[in-house]
Amino acid sequence: MNLALRDVRRHLARFVGTAAGLGLLLSVVVAMQGIYAGMVDDATILTRAMHADLWLVQRDTRGPFAEGSRLDPSVEARAAAVPGVRTARPYTYQLIQREHRGAVMRIALVGLGWPDDPGRSLPLVRGRRLQQPHGEMIVDASLGLGIGEPLVLAGEQYRVVGLTRNALTSGGDSVAFMTVGDAELVAFDQPPEAALLERQRVVERLRRTDLGRGQPALEDLATDPRWRAPALASPPVAAVLVEADPHRIAEVRGVMRSWGDVSVYSQAEEEELLLVGVVQRARMQIGLFTVILTLTAAVIIMMVMYNLTLEKTHDLAVLKLMGAPRLRLLGLVLQQAWLLGAMGYAVAFAMGELAFPMFPRRVLITETISLVAPVATMGIVTLASILGLTHVMRIDPSIALEG
Amino acid sequence: MEDAVRAVDLSKTYGTGLAAVKALDHVTLTIARGTVAALLGPSGSGKSTLIKALGFVSPADTGEVFFEGRLVVKHGVPLADLAALRRRHLGFVFQKANLTSFLTARENVEIACEFGGKSDGRRRARELLEYLDVAGREHSYPEMLSGGEQQRVAIARALANEPSLILADEPTAALDSVRSRSVMELFRKVAHDRGAAVLVVTHDHRALEVFDVLYEMEDGRIRPHRPERSGLTAEQ
Repeated sequence: MNLALRDVRRHLARFVGTAAGLGLLLSVVVAMQGIYAGMVDDATILTRAMHADLWLVQRDTRGPFAEGSRLDPSVEARAAAVPGVRTARPYTYQLIQREHRGAVMRIALVGLGWPDDPGRSLPLVRGRRLQQPHGEMIVDASLGLGIGEPLVLAGEQYRVVGLTRNALTSGGDSVAFMTVGDAELVAFDQPPEAALLERQRVVERLRRTDLGRGQPALEDLATDPRWRAPALASPPVAAVLVEADPHRIAEVRGVMRSWGDVSVYSQAEEEELLLVGVVQRARMQIGLFTVILTLTAAVIIMMVMYNLTLEKTHDLAVLKLMGAPRLRLLGLVLQQAWLLGAMGYAVAFAMGELAFPMFPRRVLITETISLVAPVATMGIVTLASILGLTHVMRIDPSIALEG
Repeated sequence: MEDAVRAVDLSKTYGTGLAAVKALDHVTLTIARGTVAALLGPSGSGKSTLIKALGFVSPADTGEVFFEGRLVVKHGVPLADLAALRRRHLGFVFQKANLTSFLTARENVEIACEFGGKSDGRRRARELLEYLDVAGREHSYPEMLSGGEQQRVAIARALANEPSLILADEPTAALDSVRSRSVMELFRKVAHDRGAAVLVVTHDHRALEVFDVLYEMEDGRIRPHRPERSGLTAEQ
C-alpha cells in the first residue's frame, strides 16, 4: 500500500493547492533563468546574425554596440582589397524611437551593405530578403508589423518585406534591417527648417573665407538642395564586416590591425565586448537574483515539506508504534516531496508556455534550462525533505500512547 | 498455558535527584496467551509506563522482559529488533482509536497486515472488520466513524497480525457504558477465540467481570486486585 498516495488522495485539494503554489514559485525561478539566458542571447544575436569573421570599427573604440563607432566608408574598399578577404560590407547601427499607429516604437536600425548583403544571414520566419536598394525593410516580429505594412521614417515610406524572430538588442529593443543607404537617410534626416539653417551657416562660412569671397557662385551651389560639396565626406559607417578565407583569417587580421584608423575584433571578441561591456551588470544582477530566488524557493519548499510532515506526526507515531519499517515512513515523505516537485514543475512548465511569451523581455528557455530545471527541482525537493525526514526519524512512537 | 510476555523486576525512574519519580518499582508480571487481564490504578501510578515497557516502546531502566520465552530486553538494552517484534507479534489499542487519518477503515487494518508480513491483507482486513461487526464501514475514513466504530476498527487493526499480545491503554475512556462493555467483551472474545494475551489498562470498573485477572498499580508497584486466576500471576 502506498502511504504517500493515500495521504495525497485524502488531502487532494490541499496537496494540489500546495503544488500549484510551488509551481508558481518555480515558474518565477525558471522565468528569471530564462530572462538571464534571453539577455545573454539578445546581446549576442545581432553579431551572430551578421556572420562576419572580423569586425572593423573605429580605432580604440569598442563599437558599434558598446559605444559609438564612426568609420570612414573607404575602409570597405580597403578591406575588400586585402588578400584573403572574400567580402567586406558596411554596417550601421542606431537606435530610433518613433510613433506608429499611436504607439511608441523603439527600433534598433541596422544598415546592411547592399547589394552584397540583402539579409541572407538573417533568421527569416516570414517574407523575403531585401530586393531593392531603397524602401524595403526586414523587421523583427516583436515590433508587431505585418508583411507589406508601411512604416514612415524620415518622410519616406518603407515597406516590411520580411520578418525575423528574436532579433533584439541587449536592451530588448527590436531590430529592423534596411540597406545602409536607407539607414543613413533615416540617421541624417533633418526637418526642412534645420536644412535651411545649415545651408545658411554654409553660406556664412563661405563669406568668411577667401574661397567664398573669390568665387561668389559657390554661394548659389551651397543653397541648392541637390548639390553636395565634393570636399565633404560621405556619411561614416559604424563598422565594416569582413568575411575571409577561413585559413587566412589571422593573416587578414594582421594586415588590418596595422591600419591606424581601425580596431579589429573577431566574432567571439565582439560578442565578449557586448557581454562584458553592455550587459555585464544587468547579467550579474539577474544572476544573483536568480540564485537568491532559487534559495528562497528551496527554503519555502523545505518549510512546506516540513509542515506537511509535522501535521502527520501523530499518524506517523501510530505507524511507528505498529512497527512500520523506517524506510516506509521515510518513503512517504520523499515520495510526496517528489510528487510535489513533479506537479510543481508541470505547473511551472504550463505557466511558462502560457505566460512567458507575453513578457516584455524575451524569456529564453534554453535546452540547458529545459534539462536542468526538472532535475534541479527534484534535487531541491529531495534536499528540502531533509527537515521532514529528520522529523520522521525523531518521532517517538510512545506519543501515540499518550491520550 | 504458554506465556506471552514475562516481565521480571522492572524499574524505571523519571528525572533525577529530588525531582526523581519512580514510575516502575520492581514490577514482575506474567501474562499467558488466552488470558485477558486488567491493569487498574490511579493516574500517575505507572500503568502507561508499564504498557510502554511491555510494548517495547520505552524500555525500563532495569529488569528483564521475556517474549514467548525469549529474553528480548535486559536492563533497558534491546536484544532483538523491537520494531519487528511490535510489527509481527503485538497489537495496540489506544484511549482514542488513533486510526491513521488518511486511511480508510479497511486500509487501517490492511496496513497492519502488511507490516506484519501477512499475505492477502485486504481479505484478512475484511474478515476482521466483519468479525468486529464494522464491515459496512470499510470505505469510511476515521473521522466519519462513531467512537465505538473507530474503537472496533482499532481492535481489528490490533488483531491484524495475529498478535500474541494485545496492549490496550484505556480503550473505553471515550465510550458510553454500553459500548464500553461491548469493547471489553470483544477483548475477552479475542483472547479466548484467538489465544492472544490481552492486557487492558482501565479506570472503568463497570465491566471488570469480563477479565480473567485484575492487577492494580500504585506508586509504581503492582499487586493483584483479585485472587489469582488461571493464566496470570503477579509477583511483588
